[in-house]
Amino acid sequence: MSVTYIDAIHEAQDHLLRDNSSVFIYGQDVASFGGAFKATKGLSEKYPGRVLDSPISEDAMIGLAVGAAIEGCRPIIEMQFADFSSVAFNQIVNQAATHYYRTGVPIPITVRLPSGGTAGSGPFHSQSMEGIYAQYPGTIVVTPATVADAYHMLVDSVALDDPVIFCEHKFLYRWLKADSIRGEHLPIGQASIIRPGKHATVVAYSAMVHEAVRAADRLKEDGWEIEVVDLRTVKPIDMDTVLASVARTGRLLAVGEAFPWGGVTAEVISRVVAEGFHLLDAAPQRLNSRDTPVPYHPKLWAAHRPTPESICEALRKLLSF
Amino acid sequence: MPTVPILMPQLGESIAEATIIRLGVAVGDIVKTDQDMIEVETNKAIMSVTTLCDGVVSEIRAQEGTSYAVGSVLGLLDVTEEEVARTGVDTMEATDSTPSESPPCVDKETNLHFAVDDADTYTEAPTVVPSVKGLPVPTGTLGAHYISPRMRARMDDLGIREADISAIAGTGAGGRVTVKDLEKFLDYLESWPSVKASPMRMAVADAMRRSWTRPLATVGIPARIDNLLEHRSSQEPKPGLTLYLLRAFAVAISENLTSAGYLIGDKVVHPRSLDIGVAVQVEDGVVVPVVRQLDKKSVSELIHEYADLVNRTRDRRITEQDCSGGIATVTNFGTFGLTLGTPIPLPNETLILGIGAGVKKPVWSEQTQTFLPATMADLCLTFDHRVVDGGGAGILLSRVAELLQSPESL
Amino acid sequence: MQPTESSQANDQATQNKASQPSWATSENEFLCSVFHSMLQARILENKLSSLYKAGKIVGGVYLGKGQEAVSASLGASLIRDVDYFAPLIRDQAGRTAFGEDLLDCTRTYLGSAQGPMRGRDGNIHRGRPTEGMPAMISHLGAQLSVLAGMLFAKRLQGSLEGRVGATCIGDGATSTGAFHEGLNMAAVEKLPLVVVVANNQFAYSTPNSRQFACNDLIERARGYGIGGFSVDGTDLLSCASVITEAVRRARSGKGPQMVVAHLLRLSGHGEHDDGSYVPDHVRAGHYGRDCIEIAMRQLVEMGAATPEQIMGWQESIAADVQRAVAQAQQEAGPDPYREDWSALSTQFPLPIRAQATTQPQDAIEPTTPFA
Repeated sequence: MSVTYIDAIHEAQDHLLRDNSSVFIYGQDVASFGGAFKATKGLSEKYPGRVLDSPISEDAMIGLAVGAAIEGCRPIIEMQFADFSSVAFNQIVNQAATHYYRTGVPIPITVRLPSGGTAGSGPFHSQSMEGIYAQYPGTIVVTPATVADAYHMLVDSVALDDPVIFCEHKFLYRWLKADSIRGEHLPIGQASIIRPGKHATVVAYSAMVHEAVRAADRLKEDGWEIEVVDLRTVKPIDMDTVLASVARTGRLLAVGEAFPWGGVTAEVISRVVAEGFHLLDAAPQRLNSRDTPVPYHPKLWAAHRPTPESICEALRKLLSF
Repeated sequence: MPTVPILMPQLGESIAEATIIRLGVAVGDIVKTDQDMIEVETNKAIMSVTTLCDGVVSEIRAQEGTSYAVGSVLGLLDVTEEEVARTGVDTMEATDSTPSESPPCVDKETNLHFAVDDADTYTEAPTVVPSVKGLPVPTGTLGAHYISPRMRARMDDLGIREADISAIAGTGAGGRVTVKDLEKFLDYLESWPSVKASPMRMAVADAMRRSWTRPLATVGIPARIDNLLEHRSSQEPKPGLTLYLLRAFAVAISENLTSAGYLIGDKVVHPRSLDIGVAVQVEDGVVVPVVRQLDKKSVSELIHEYADLVNRTRDRRITEQDCSGGIATVTNFGTFGLTLGTPIPLPNETLILGIGAGVKKPVWSEQTQTFLPATMADLCLTFDHRVVDGGGAGILLSRVAELLQSPESL
Repeated sequence: MQPTESSQANDQATQNKASQPSWATSENEFLCSVFHSMLQARILENKLSSLYKAGKIVGGVYLGKGQEAVSASLGASLIRDVDYFAPLIRDQAGRTAFGEDLLDCTRTYLGSAQGPMRGRDGNIHRGRPTEGMPAMISHLGAQLSVLAGMLFAKRLQGSLEGRVGATCIGDGATSTGAFHEGLNMAAVEKLPLVVVVANNQFAYSTPNSRQFACNDLIERARGYGIGGFSVDGTDLLSCASVITEAVRRARSGKGPQMVVAHLLRLSGHGEHDDGSYVPDHVRAGHYGRDCIEIAMRQLVEMGAATPEQIMGWQESIAADVQRAVAQAQQEAGPDPYREDWSALSTQFPLPIRAQATTQPQDAIEPTTPFA
């Protein structure tokens, strides 16, 4: 029997609703329809009055969550697509993220962002928003890359007292399967070394972890051993793990699916250069999507984002330095 | 009874450590205030560590031949309460409360410092792909051409300079030396006999390495020194040959101060006083004490001052101050029987004047139309070519040779 | 209390006569308490203005001059510790009526570290979110959905009964998407939310004609499917009766209520602004009159208070305000060296085996048919 990434998210929400009466889910089409990706299927019947359809009002959905959080609830807000959270940007970064600092009252909301590209999704259903929200003080931004993390990090996110931006990757929903998600798990804020190596470090997160592992597989044939660090949480970044890895390999490539200007990969590199300059054997490199909106056509889309091929190419260049 | 530490003192501004030459006290010895106890050698001099108070040596932690950082505890004294009160010394109990040894490391977990691959070897590297935008493969001659931050950190770790690794042909891209190459080379050297370089050797090495970063050139000229030798033997006491040279060099420089100028940025700094150093060979190195105001005193006036300075240098009893402030150096390598040399100026000086051994040679005399015997010595001048040109150096050197012809005026 | 002639309740509202709130022992007493809050707000704000002009307050000072009758009526209609009030920038009177301590105001304006915002936010951005008064952000309309969320939480917790949430916004805020999203959502959720729109005719300098194209903002209530009231904001008696009624209707489960109060801002947008763009004929018009003077006359005429009594209130309020200002001024500001500079309540790194109690049961059997 296998569990998919979306199953894990579904189960986590099921268990959260079961175990904590202050949890509710609010979002477009999440009730009897079960959500655009079926992440809440059956939950509104199982937990009457706690899984509710919202009007198409992203700004007000977050505002409502903030108000409910002040009054002791732990809302999960499902954005139908991460892209639409731009409508809620104000409430997320100005209301939710500033609240604890301003008033001392934390806002335990979890905003689920179905993120990242899939073939044919086009410019407005493919975005990766983690960097935008991570830039603001007062947020925690998580990007699970595995089935187990999808479950445990969602459960942990809801347990945290601060606003968590939960970036779940749409491509992984059904593509990624695991036998079980039981057992030990790392806390939010800690990266994991998903594949050990010694010649170069790839720091990635979300779906890019899998692309990086595929690239590492290919380079293995040439004798290169690539270490892949799954950030898991992009804010705060676990620099201890990243620096320890770079200390072993001396070479760094940061890979992200988001747009190339600034963002998580830039943050990783600037921190490694500042904190671990003496560890580097080569100028650290980064690989992101191209600097255009996400294209619709599958052929264009496949060439827009980092792929195992482009990661391999970047790594070969890095290793040749 | 209170315990008072014997600490490695700060023996000069730039000194970070010193080597124990001789332990003058042993456990159980009674020591008096201001007594010399331990002899230590810094880069340039031998000095003594003294006590701050009366007491009894209760422990010696230092070993002869070992270097200790400034502030290290070399030993302990048992001191009476009364004596502590009288002298106001810090007791071990008092100093222990403040971190005295090494500063506490930064957060242990984040202080990753440096990690080197284990014994595993790289498998055969794939062919190097051509340069790409933003990440050019470094090219150049094999060896230490490009040093990565990681390589630099490892070298700093080991106290290794760029010049030290010139022997390594790198295996990295473009022939650069990798950390791996360095470690391999060091492993290889492990099987060779070696000794620890003395502080003196390290000081000379450092000075020469720094000086060598400049474009240095050497010019030479033969000088007849019969008059000089004659004049010298007529004096009592006899001045050293080098002293004449010092004087002549000072007079020549005083006529064109720019020739001894020091270039920094777009400025040439002129000498403030014609103080010229003299290279004195000591065990395992060279020390350069400085003779002061050479333009204002004659050779005969300088004899005693010069002799004292040289003697103190040979006895290693000079201070850092005796060696500072020089604007040029004179070296008499002729004393080793050498006739030719290309000496290297100190890194803070532009000029060094050398003189080879005097040799009897036939010299053509226009007067008698015959070859006559003469004592000739080659003068050579090494200069920083950024400041002085060949012509200027030639004029300066010719002037020195000329001045040596009339030693009585020196 | 009867609705006065100047209140133009729409068809829904006219079916219900306004009534005095049950917690006021008498109509006169209620009106006097509203007026007392108006007076305190006016005296306090005059003081803030003078502190600003003396260089004691940095940032901005935003006054509710001319809006006191509306704001205080709303604040006084709410029950502390039961209801929620999300004041905006011209709600000093409402804050006072709702029960905000004078010191919260002076400490925040003067940057005392002991104020509710501890120097991290200033002036009118103050609030006590866990005491029913969320702290506004500058983005207009944003508090509507937050209030909706607070009420939503109470419904989920089974304790919504008898509670209302209220906010007071300006004519300019009605143009934002957040206003629409928030009010529509509250209507969909049928939450007891009261939105008082103080139409003071200018959003900063922009007149109503450039803000909306409907005849009267109250027309929007029908579009949202909520109760709507219109009232003369310069008239205490009208405000008290209409707003109290709107709050009562919300409290009794009739869903969101919207009150549009017509008035004129009697100051600039902030004290840095002289409001010179307001035409003289508008200032001289009906809404240019001062609600405090009207209210004073009304109270005296109806025998609720004597001029001497009012004089006494003024004196004691002035003394209270001076005390609160003096205390806040003497208190230390925040210390940048002691500030913890953390925007998160969570301390990282978190221990392994996080705080979550929920664990997958079996090997986690997918309970849904998809795969």
